Amino acid sequence: MTVLTRGTERTAAQEQPSARRRNARERAWAVAFASPYLLHLVALTAWPVLASLFFSMTEYDLMSPPRFVGFGNFARLFGDETFWRTLGNTAYFAVLFVPTQTALALLLAIALNQRLRGMALFRAAYFVPVVSSWVVVAYVADAVFNPQTGIANQVLGLAGLPAENWLQDPVLVIPTLAAVAVWKGVGYMMVLFLAGLQAIPEERYEAAKIDGASAWSRFRYVTLPGISGTTFLVLVLTSIETLQSFEQVYVMTDGGPHGASELTVLYLYRQGFQFFQMGYASAVAWVLFVLVLALTLVQFRLQRRWVHYA
Amino acid sequence: MRRSISYVLVLAGAVVMLLPFAAALGNSLKSFAQYIQVPPVWLPDPVQWDNYAEVWRRTPFGLYLANSLLIAVLAVAGNVVTSATVGHALARMRLPGKQALLTMALGTMMLPTVITIVPNFLLFRSLGWLDTLLPLIVPYWLATPIGIFLMRQTFLAIPKDFEEAASLDGANPWQVFWRVHVPLAKPALATLAVFTFTTSWKAVLEPVIYLTSPENYTLPVGVLSLKGQFVGNDQLVTAAAMMSLLPMLVVFVLAQRYFVRGTMSAGLKG
Repeated sequence: MTVLTRGTERTAAQEQPSARRRNARERAWAVAFASPYLLHLVALTAWPVLASLFFSMTEYDLMSPPRFVGFGNFARLFGDETFWRTLGNTAYFAVLFVPTQTALALLLAIALNQRLRGMALFRAAYFVPVVSSWVVVAYVADAVFNPQTGIANQVLGLAGLPAENWLQDPVLVIPTLAAVAVWKGVGYMMVLFLAGLQAIPEERYEAAKIDGASAWSRFRYVTLPGISGTTFLVLVLTSIETLQSFEQVYVMTDGGPHGASELTVLYLYRQGFQFFQMGYASAVAWVLFVLVLALTLVQFRLQRRWVHYA
Repeated sequence: MRRSISYVLVLAGAVVMLLPFAAALGNSLKSFAQYIQVPPVWLPDPVQWDNYAEVWRRTPFGLYLANSLLIAVLAVAGNVVTSATVGHALARMRLPGKQALLTMALGTMMLPTVITIVPNFLLFRSLGWLDTLLPLIVPYWLATPIGIFLMRQTFLAIPKDFEEAASLDGANPWQVFWRVHVPLAKPALATLAVFTFTTSWKAVLEPVIYLTSPENYTLPVGVLSLKGQFVGNDQLVTAAAMMSLLPMLVVFVLAQRYFVRGTMSAGLKG
């Protein structure tokens, strides 16, 4: 990321007064142009981070003013079994979802990265779930996973297997949600990988072919290192997003059955917006916030071992 | 050989992607009796086109649609304009603290948004904006990190000659931006526009938190609220859900190349 800093090497004293005035005016223009984001940083970044830290140390029900309780909310959170269960659910969901989606997206991108007839049409098909809201997806998923009338149990029946309860089964609910999430998101990630694949220079493949590398070796030693930058970025961003997953469970299961799919942000939403415990909800947010940041840092740490930047 | 394996894979994937939509579409055209019939019938018989008309007759679908459209249009306009000016300041102007701002924009892209849910609610509450459409629009008027990156990259790539010529003609920085650079950045602006439209159209969390009166509902929360009201008429709710996707599909079909381009640039920038 190179930034042009024209003119800064000259000192102000050397400049003509008129040039200095012009510079000041140019800077004023630039600040005016950037002002929406400056306001964004204050109101939508700095304020939330600091305010939620403050509120996490208060009891606040929106009726009476916030009451300072120190680390009381965190102490309560530490002993809150439901909270720990939601963290476990969230981690389980992420562990199923992120690697599956990444692997499938890469596979599809490799398959699509050839001049196939009708490729644009295929790409579009994979993108329809991406642009659909979770409310639409909930009804589309119901056509598949409804225990009585869905396609999934029809298919199982044809194979002579017993029907399942999918989203109403406490054991299957998270794997089913993860499968639906992969179905919805794989097209987006596939396009990211396509971009990464297309950035690998053709010569590398040709050189590998001349050296007699097999198709597998070319994949292993040209393709995988070539897209490791994309893979890293995709993994970081999807992990951040997945650990904060809310809309899917809010719409599809409301955390059920019996809390089996209650994810942490759904728990936060309930504490804050159904029970009006803004302080406690802020504490939940801060713990999750720190966990997500920690995971992101670990991923950045580990990238040196496997990410190759050409 | 490899090509045909790829073909089969991609084709099978496309079927998996679209078949559920077809099944849901079928459900939306059934009578309730057929909707719950076991074993299920795949093709509705007779096809109840009237389900869609009934949604319009019996629900405030038009109102939800109008709210969603209003929010999306204003969000798109705001984000395109502000992300463009900020991106322009970062790419082509003498902005003090440019590097720091750029780093912060990158940082906020990685910032878990969970931290903002409660404080933003309290902020908008203190502004008296609860149960209005403002919390769903105004944040887009303060530029988004992804938009800033996209626009900065675009403006960086425009040759200097254009603005130098314009400056010699006495154009001020706004005129350089608006008359010279913006027309050259149209594809990126379109990309940002479709991206913002999609994000706004799909949103569930924010409308759920900020909107309480049904007359303010957007399509996703509106359709969701029908679920409770139309027990025993699930085919109608499915029809409403399918209809709520239609405007998005129209935008998608018209602007497909911008979706792909936007996704790619979103991933490549970082």
